[in-house]
Amino acid sequence: MSKPARESASTPSGRPARSRPSAKRPPVVRAVDLRVGYAGAPVCAPVSFSLPAGKIMALVGPNGAGKSTVLRAVLGLLEPLSGTVQVLGRAVDERAVAYRAQVASVLDDDAWFPALTVSEHLYLTARGHGVADAEEEVDELLEEFGLADHAHALPTALSSGQRRRLLLAAGLVRPRSLLVLDEPEQRLDVAMRGHLADRLNAEKVAGGSVLLATHDPQLLAAVADRAVLVGDTSGTLSVDDAVEALQPGVL
Amino acid sequence: MSASAAGAEPERWWEADPADLQHEAQDLGDPLEPAVGPEELTAFPAARSIRRYTVAVARQRSGAGVGELLGDVYYAVIMIAIGFGLALGVAGQLTSTAAPVAAAGTGASLPAVVAVGLVALAGVVLTLAGRLGPVGLGGAEATWWLGLPVERRGLVRPASRRIPLVAAAAGALVAGILDGGLLDDAGIGHVLRIAAAAALVCAGVVLLAGLAQSWRGNRLAVVVGDVIVAVSPVIAVLAVVGGWQMDGLPDAPLPVLLVGAVVVLLLAVALDRRLGSIQGRSLRESGSVAAQAAGALASMDSRELGRVLTDRVAKQRRRRSWRMRLVRGPGSAIVAADLVVLVRSPRHLVQVVVAALLPALVVTTPQLAGTLGVLVAIVGGGYVAMLATGEGARRAEMAPVLDRLLPLGAEQVRRLRLIVPGVVMLGWAVVAFGTIGLWRGDLALWLVLGVLTTPVWAGGALRTAYRPAPDWGGNLVSTPMGALPTGVAAVLARGPDVVVLGMVPAIIALVIGSVPPAVLTAQLLVSVIAARVGSSASTKTLMERLTDASAAPTAPAGGALR
Repeated sequence: MSKPARESASTPSGRPARSRPSAKRPPVVRAVDLRVGYAGAPVCAPVSFSLPAGKIMALVGPNGAGKSTVLRAVLGLLEPLSGTVQVLGRAVDERAVAYRAQVASVLDDDAWFPALTVSEHLYLTARGHGVADAEEEVDELLEEFGLADHAHALPTALSSGQRRRLLLAAGLVRPRSLLVLDEPEQRLDVAMRGHLADRLNAEKVAGGSVLLATHDPQLLAAVADRAVLVGDTSGTLSVDDAVEALQPGVL
Repeated sequence: MSASAAGAEPERWWEADPADLQHEAQDLGDPLEPAVGPEELTAFPAARSIRRYTVAVARQRSGAGVGELLGDVYYAVIMIAIGFGLALGVAGQLTSTAAPVAAAGTGASLPAVVAVGLVALAGVVLTLAGRLGPVGLGGAEATWWLGLPVERRGLVRPASRRIPLVAAAAGALVAGILDGGLLDDAGIGHVLRIAAAAALVCAGVVLLAGLAQSWRGNRLAVVVGDVIVAVSPVIAVLAVVGGWQMDGLPDAPLPVLLVGAVVVLLLAVALDRRLGSIQGRSLRESGSVAAQAAGALASMDSRELGRVLTDRVAKQRRRRSWRMRLVRGPGSAIVAADLVVLVRSPRHLVQVVVAALLPALVVTTPQLAGTLGVLVAIVGGGYVAMLATGEGARRAEMAPVLDRLLPLGAEQVRRLRLIVPGVVMLGWAVVAFGTIGLWRGDLALWLVLGVLTTPVWAGGALRTAYRPAPDWGGNLVSTPMGALPTGVAAVLARGPDVVVLGMVPAIIALVIGSVPPAVLTAQLLVSVIAARVGSSASTKTLMERLTDASAAPTAPAGGALR
């Protein structure tokens, strides 16, 4: 965490973006009348949105509105009740190696290999994605997320906020075109929330796309290009409107 | 919008246009070229290296070497062998000493009953395989492995082999014990061949469940398995009515076993090829269920085990809400809630019916129609039925907040929770003891005895449902089964203790074959006590309560207790 926020013109790893210009690529995520829910019962109104490369879109809505459920459908962890969702121009199929190589996600998972240390969890992720210089990447992220002193600790010995940082680091230690985050601000202190915002802005400058669910108006205002309202009614909102919607008593 | 238009970014890029989907689906960039992240990439590692890395680190940190691993395997094999031998010996001893009271000429033969039992076993294996996956990755493996761009088949392969192997071992053990211990001696070769056949069938059944999971999810295996289990008692009744006679279980010649082995091998290969097709969500759900079931077994929490194996695989559907018109107050709300829980669990209703038919099966099977068989049918069958009736109380124990919302004391709530188990077990008792009455004569007396045992079952159901989990945070004692918390036996005995002690008069009647008035009187008294103990809100064991009583200060002579 002691490392300053990266320059906004560089990629998160400090290297220039290697992707093609966003206008030549298909939307990274495209949802059309996407209806999600459980047991055949929708949890929210159908949502439609399009997220091109180099943009950040936020899902906003009250608790239980269905934001996480929409994210799970985008990640292929839940079959949509109806409608379509495409990632990188193809119907979501998380069984495809190409999908897993492109889509990183940080959900609220709290499962750890009991014998693997903090750094070993990151090595596993980095090497599993073919990162050549895993040591450098892992060390950099440990420092950045304030986990360097805990590199050799078991995750179960960390606080919940530190475990959250570890999950975020794992999402960033690997290559990706789309980063899906479910309320990434949860359990982070104010400084780390600010750093997270810088990190996400650097992500989109580098050509990456971010789809996140959030309740944090400051994070929303700092990073999002557009928002999608999820709930009984749905639709796209400007960031200002979304920030307004997140104020107490509005949603 | 037209996202694919070269040049400037579309004005309203966030709007999704269905008309563009087909066009853009063909406008793919290189799917393996991520936009951001570390620049220098190598080829993705093999799945095996991911597994090996994880296991190697864990093994290194645990300090356990190959020697310890071999020691564990050796110990497990020896324990299984000893258990198998003991079971064979006990079964043989029982069949030789507990001669049937009346070898009726009608009914099914024992081998026919065992054959039906083996069919039911296959059903149990299939439904369990469906409930546990059978292929799954849970916990850390699901979180940290499934997102990696490595060949999924290689990650899942060891997990896909685990349950078929366990099922094969369990099938071989059960079939071997039944054939070698319960049926007439047909030679060790016959026993081994039957055990091998059962192992192949069980492994094959699990592999079929795995194939079904790779296509349609695991619900199909659960339903088919449940149907087989439910149909088995019907087959048994038909066997009894039709007087199905068998001299022994049909032999499984070596060529048949070889063909079976080839089929199982082919199924295994087919499943292996389909492993990459299993959806990640299916792997996660199955892995989660299996991990929780294993945890419940390890911590000896039968309530959690039952919940995991039922709730997590229950078909998620909306039910029509009852308006609860009969509810007139908190008391009737408790009874109505228990009733709804039971009625909405067909598995438990089938469990009660099957348990009620057990005595009929025993008394109509000449080799079983003896004192021992009837005892097992009444006590064992009653216990199985009793467990089904405690579902409402079990759920209330897991979520006590709902009971606390009602203006009722804990003791009062438990007394009300006796009603549904009592009514259901009354029905069971009428059928079960009525069967014994028809078999022994004096139908009315046996029916009265059965009715009098009802409070015992209801008390046992409640005591079982409300028993606390073993305290793993307290002192542990080292046992041959590993470290166990002190008092675990006392915890596990809560429920069965009331049944065993409360059924003593009825057991005496079953042993002597008649129902003297003194037995009825004793049963009445014991039943009242059993219901009282079963509905007690005290969580202490009998020994703890006795200890407390002896440690209580006594009143000084001539003075008030201070």
